[in-house]
Amino acid sequence: MTHSSLIGDLIDLNSALKSDRSTDNDEKKQRDRAIGQALQQQRNSPARQLRGWLEQVRLSAWKRDGHHAAQLYHVLCVILVFAGLATGWGLARAVLYYTGNAPINIVNALGLLVLPQILLLLFWLLSTVPNRIPLLGSLQSALRFLNPGRLTRHLTRFFPARSRQSLSLFWDDAYATALAPATRWLFSFWSQLFSVCFNIGVLLAAFYLISFSDLAFAWSTTLNIDATTFHHMLSALSWPWHTLFPDAVPSPELVEISRYYRLEEGSIGNASAASELAVQLGQWWPFLITAIICYGLIPRLLTLLISWWRFRHHLDHALPRLPGSPELLARMNSPLISTSAPQPESVVEFDAGSGDGPSESGRYALKCAVIDWSGTGVNSASVAKQLQTMGISCEEFLTAGGSRTTDQDSATIVSVCNLKPEGVAVIVKSWEPPLLEFLDFIHSMREQCNRQQPIIILLWGGRDGVDGRDLETWQLTLRQLKDPDLHIEAMGPAQ
Amino acid sequence: MTTSLFAIVGHPNKGKSSIVSTLAQDESVTISPIPGTTIDNRYYPMIVDGETLYALVDTPGFQRARAALEWMQKQPGSSVDRANIVRMFVEEHHDDPRFAAECSLLTPILDGAGILYVIDGSRPFGEEYEAEMEILRWTGQPSLALINMIGDSDYSEEWNIALGQYFRIVRIFDAMTADFDRRIQLLLAFGQIREEWRESLQKAVRILEEEQQRRQKMSARMIAETISRMVTYTRQRRLSGDGVSNEVRDSLQQVYKRDLTAIEQQCRSDVEQIYNHTHLERHEPHVQLLDEDLFATQTWLLFGLTQQQLITTGALGGAATGGVIDLAVGGASLFLGAGIGAMIGGVSAWVTTDRIADTKILGLPLGGKQLSIGPMRNINFPYVVLGRALYHHRMIEDRTHAHRDPLELKQQPAWLQSADTEHRKRLEKIFVKLRRQETLNPDLVDALAEQIQKLMELPVAETIPPPQQDVAKGPPLPPGEG
Repeated sequence: MTHSSLIGDLIDLNSALKSDRSTDNDEKKQRDRAIGQALQQQRNSPARQLRGWLEQVRLSAWKRDGHHAAQLYHVLCVILVFAGLATGWGLARAVLYYTGNAPINIVNALGLLVLPQILLLLFWLLSTVPNRIPLLGSLQSALRFLNPGRLTRHLTRFFPARSRQSLSLFWDDAYATALAPATRWLFSFWSQLFSVCFNIGVLLAAFYLISFSDLAFAWSTTLNIDATTFHHMLSALSWPWHTLFPDAVPSPELVEISRYYRLEEGSIGNASAASELAVQLGQWWPFLITAIICYGLIPRLLTLLISWWRFRHHLDHALPRLPGSPELLARMNSPLISTSAPQPESVVEFDAGSGDGPSESGRYALKCAVIDWSGTGVNSASVAKQLQTMGISCEEFLTAGGSRTTDQDSATIVSVCNLKPEGVAVIVKSWEPPLLEFLDFIHSMREQCNRQQPIIILLWGGRDGVDGRDLETWQLTLRQLKDPDLHIEAMGPAQ
Repeated sequence: MTTSLFAIVGHPNKGKSSIVSTLAQDESVTISPIPGTTIDNRYYPMIVDGETLYALVDTPGFQRARAALEWMQKQPGSSVDRANIVRMFVEEHHDDPRFAAECSLLTPILDGAGILYVIDGSRPFGEEYEAEMEILRWTGQPSLALINMIGDSDYSEEWNIALGQYFRIVRIFDAMTADFDRRIQLLLAFGQIREEWRESLQKAVRILEEEQQRRQKMSARMIAETISRMVTYTRQRRLSGDGVSNEVRDSLQQVYKRDLTAIEQQCRSDVEQIYNHTHLERHEPHVQLLDEDLFATQTWLLFGLTQQQLITTGALGGAATGGVIDLAVGGASLFLGAGIGAMIGGVSAWVTTDRIADTKILGLPLGGKQLSIGPMRNINFPYVVLGRALYHHRMIEDRTHAHRDPLELKQQPAWLQSADTEHRKRLEKIFVKLRRQETLNPDLVDALAEQIQKLMELPVAETIPPPQQDVAKGPPLPPGEG
């Protein structure tokens, strides 16, 4: 896979995960598990599995994001290639500028074309070694900051917003935990790409000048270095290729004759006088070219390859770290568990606002038949006492519900009707909700006895008293009967 | 493997739907204090990759149990015919609205479902329950009684005696507060009522336990990412002049605090979603800024260089230049060239930064002043954030789906519960690196997630205070009381 497709996938996956946030959770689970099962063989390779997922769910909008980012990446690479070639070409033309009057100082050429490369290579190495040594971290962060590849991100501001935004993921702090290593190697890749092209530019310019002009080199330094020492230094510099290309190692004679001050004034320009010397002074070029290749191009190719490989590696590792990826992988690789109901629930809507419901009149002046519903266990004497405080005098104490049969309930209703009381009080357990059989009982009593007779439901809460929520439940349920003569009262706690 | 079916039956308003909601982890189940809210049977199958391991059936409560039992008792037949009589009842009354609830709840039982009879153990036993328990006994299906403790009072003793006469197994289960282990134990208890259901239930339990592990792992990862972001979070505002007014500082601090809160709240929602709590209302005090002064005024320069970075650049450039001289003299200068070069480069950059910032090219400034807030350097901060996150996770992990009240996170979190010294050291090491802004290393987040997951697995115990804080900054602060 190429970088651009890796970058495209990363951007697409991020877009997909972002847009997936609004998708229903159950829908996601079902979709992703189905894809996960189809990609079961890639279970141990999360990045491949995520790409497989992306292939199956990819929407055109996401694909465009990745495509734009990959395009921008390509364009930036091309810019860097041209910038590197132009800079290398330009610098080499400047350093190897030769009018025929004064030879090119080889020390100057080495100082500008080779030595900085060795130094920068050292910096690159320092910035990439694992951070195990104290204080190395700060140095590394400074070196990474100085990485010219970082400047490439600033070039993106000259591109359309869509492309710029899609690639900006790499330097967005919110994605740092997932993408920082990949971003570091992306900058490294860009800087090394520039460097390789720079070296190629230098070499192209050098070859051009060597081919189409007659260059002469000399060496000169104000430092107290004699020819022998200089030769030793050059030999040391040439050590890597001295066996492979012995002609590219300057001989002691060449060093000796090309010392600048030894050349007579104008001797280079005077071809008839020094044509042999001119040929000899031109013999420096194999050394210079080999030095650039050995210390510039080859290491940079190597660092480019390493950066490419590391960038690719970290891009792969970044996929499962993107926000939402771990959850997606979990959905794909763990069994699809559903414990909820597949069908929506159908529930009864209660009318909570009706005004025709049971009222809490509070004070009565009634002689009532009192029915103990469902065996509340109340003491009839103490109940009678409590009812008196409410203005209710107990005419007869009856029982219904609970362990009695429905026939017995009917008999109770007949007894109540025969009594013809001013009202009926039904004592119920407040904590037990009103069942339909209780409503049946009230309804039958209303049907069989006096239709306007007040019926008072007395909620008994046992030793704890009546809970407010229970009272509410009773009120709401009895309100459905729409009986204006039905009242609810909460009794005090049991004594 | 036989799929087991369980009908959750009982009196209305005794927590049947709560138990189903808890076991099915389904917050869509309607839980209402009004009797008769559930009017139809609702199935909650546990399906794993298409395979149904068991199913729960939420049923309407008995409404006319006495009348139904009386009908059954009037039918001729001996004890062996009772199940058929119940079947006859359902067949005869399935269109009768009077017995709609009874027919609905008895249908799955007659189809072979196990009976899970639910009562409220916080309310006294009553004789009205006897008819429904008798009907259930008549079905002849294996059964288990669940004492659901809805209120604070405890009548479980008398219920145990009453239920023991009708059911072989009686269990106490609080649908509101049952943690994951209790839910698992209950599922295993279901397997006790019929031998052939045991295998599928054990498989279900194993899968649920694995799922719980995955949820913990994902939550730990989310919390680790959140802590990393919060600890290293900074915010800048460019200044128009040299002075910084209090209004600017206050407004930047508000924005910073709001951003931190948003990051933390996003984590809360994500963790809740992992545990299927998607509509949860949460009350939590906002995280407090523990550092006294989080502000710094910096110079910003074009291309994003700060003054510090410019100084580093200058120093390195100087060192490189000096290094060439060292090289030229064959190291005889003892690298003085590099040292002096670095110093000159650094100082020059320091001196000239402001001047560069004031320079304009084509009317565009090359730099300016900016006010920066963050990151939070206080050593307690990551512990506070972790404590709050662990506390929230614990609450969510243990929270049942029957619990519909808002989640209150006002107590002192039990963070760093039983962590041993070694564990805490590892945590501190990670936090030290985080404070050094090394978040760019995803391995650090992984390492933190691993430690958090270990903390999640520890039982809740005494709180262990965070490392000693600088005396000048005062004692460690509990969250929400900065």
